[in-house]
Amino acid sequence: MVSINYSSREVCCKIVYYGPGLSGKTTNLQYVHAKIPGTTRGDLISLATEADRTLYFDFLPINIGTINGFAAKFQLYTVPGQVYYNATRKLVLRGVDGVVFVADAQPDKMDENIDSLANLDENLAEYGYDLKSMPFVLQYNKCDLPNVMTLEQMDAKLNPTGVPSFMSSATEGTGVFDTLKMIIKLVLDKAKSGGGPARPNASAASAPSPGSSVSASSSAAPAQSVASAPTATSVATPPQQPDAPEVVREEVHQVGTPASAGTPVSAGTPVSAGTPASAVESAPVSEPASEPEQYRPYPGSQSQKIDVKDKKITPAAFTPAGDNIDSETPLEKKVVSEDTTGETSETDSLKSPIMAPSLKKTAPRKKRGFLKRLFGVR
Amino acid sequence: MADDSLVIYEEEIQQLESLISKMLKGCEAKCALLVDKDGHLITRQGFTHSLDTTALAALLAGSFASTKEIARLVGEPEFSILFHQGKKDNIHMSLVGDRSILVVIFDDRTTIGMVRLYARETSVELTKIFEQIKENPKGGASTAISDDFANMAQDKLDDIFQD
Repeated sequence: MVSINYSSREVCCKIVYYGPGLSGKTTNLQYVHAKIPGTTRGDLISLATEADRTLYFDFLPINIGTINGFAAKFQLYTVPGQVYYNATRKLVLRGVDGVVFVADAQPDKMDENIDSLANLDENLAEYGYDLKSMPFVLQYNKCDLPNVMTLEQMDAKLNPTGVPSFMSSATEGTGVFDTLKMIIKLVLDKAKSGGGPARPNASAASAPSPGSSVSASSSAAPAQSVASAPTATSVATPPQQPDAPEVVREEVHQVGTPASAGTPVSAGTPVSAGTPASAVESAPVSEPASEPEQYRPYPGSQSQKIDVKDKKITPAAFTPAGDNIDSETPLEKKVVSEDTTGETSETDSLKSPIMAPSLKKTAPRKKRGFLKRLFGVR
Repeated sequence: MADDSLVIYEEEIQQLESLISKMLKGCEAKCALLVDKDGHLITRQGFTHSLDTTALAALLAGSFASTKEIARLVGEPEFSILFHQGKKDNIHMSLVGDRSILVVIFDDRTTIGMVRLYARETSVELTKIFEQIKENPKGGASTAISDDFANMAQDKLDDIFQD
């Protein structure tokens, strides 16, 4: 399901590359990763075996920029193609918005293609999805090799419903972007119509949308560049249109979903990241209001340094030295220390020195103070 | 077809965020993420600016999903809590309702017990909010994705995807 976040103003879609083993799914992602500008993509994450076979999934987030005030983000996943990994393959399909089936165009691989396609249908059905109503694109890969089947031959075998199909060579890049563009188009078209034919009020839902979205975007676009949250509140409220079919559909999912799959999540994928308001509350230094287009490295070495500092200056480290104070001061001190520790931020190190004066007091008084406090408090 | 998107608005996000930041203050953890089981990040709080939260969300959701399958194989419907212990940082994941995962990242300034206690309390509150959202949908995807959204996206893609 497409996830829409009115707080950080993002639209996020999940696209899965499916297909038999060694058909070129990961190579597709590698090509996209290599060719698009660094500002529009995150890192390519591959959970692969030592022999570079996909074990769980590959993941490539791409952000194509702001459209109508909403950042359009796509998460590209691949599945492990080997028959053996069906369990993990199925997990990746959870919440998918669009599927690209990467078939191997060599004639002797046709059986594998057919099996894999049947497996896709089966796995989708377990989540209550239907391939016929899902944005779906076929890619016939390895067209750079000799003796591969033609588009028509492949379509005849694999594409009875006539979904968009492309010949491609993932290593050389032929057809890779065409496939991706097409699946993104289909996913967005579907998201726009709110589920297409399956949705009873599709026309009713889409009719008012142009007006409301235009107004939303016109007021949001300038706001977003500065700080997303404050203005987003006012923008977020307009869509008050009651949407009964959503509820209905969700029930349907729950019915159609086997216990193991538990797809009701379908009903929605909220997302939010911006959070300037609360970010300030918890961490004054953190979260710049405008979410960066580029993805930051993880983990940051800076944060590690800070941790060490924090640890040294933690109020707990001062407690033995602070025994000197008379019965009332410990309470004050306690308050201060709670304040500082309560914040999970860099400011710990800045605030902690406030307690330093208590260290200056002399050793003899320390003991008296300790006893006094010990008995006084009790 | 599970193709619908439940849209969460500013108001609900703020409720979720205030609960999470309260939890962070209480258990003195480093940061917390609220992740959808599909791998989308819902919200995050605390010290997250050095993290690639997009990838983190996808991987955590994947990790949770595979654990669920493991649970099924040993006859459990689902493991509701997952804990990764590291040398310095630890990750505590707990299920929120049936669709989201609350992820708390913490170091040795606090303890697993504190995190678990606060996470459990917060999960209950978060679940209530998610239930409210589920019961009272305010609108659909159509409000955000207008008719020309796909066309404009195509134009952008043409610019980006140049061989």
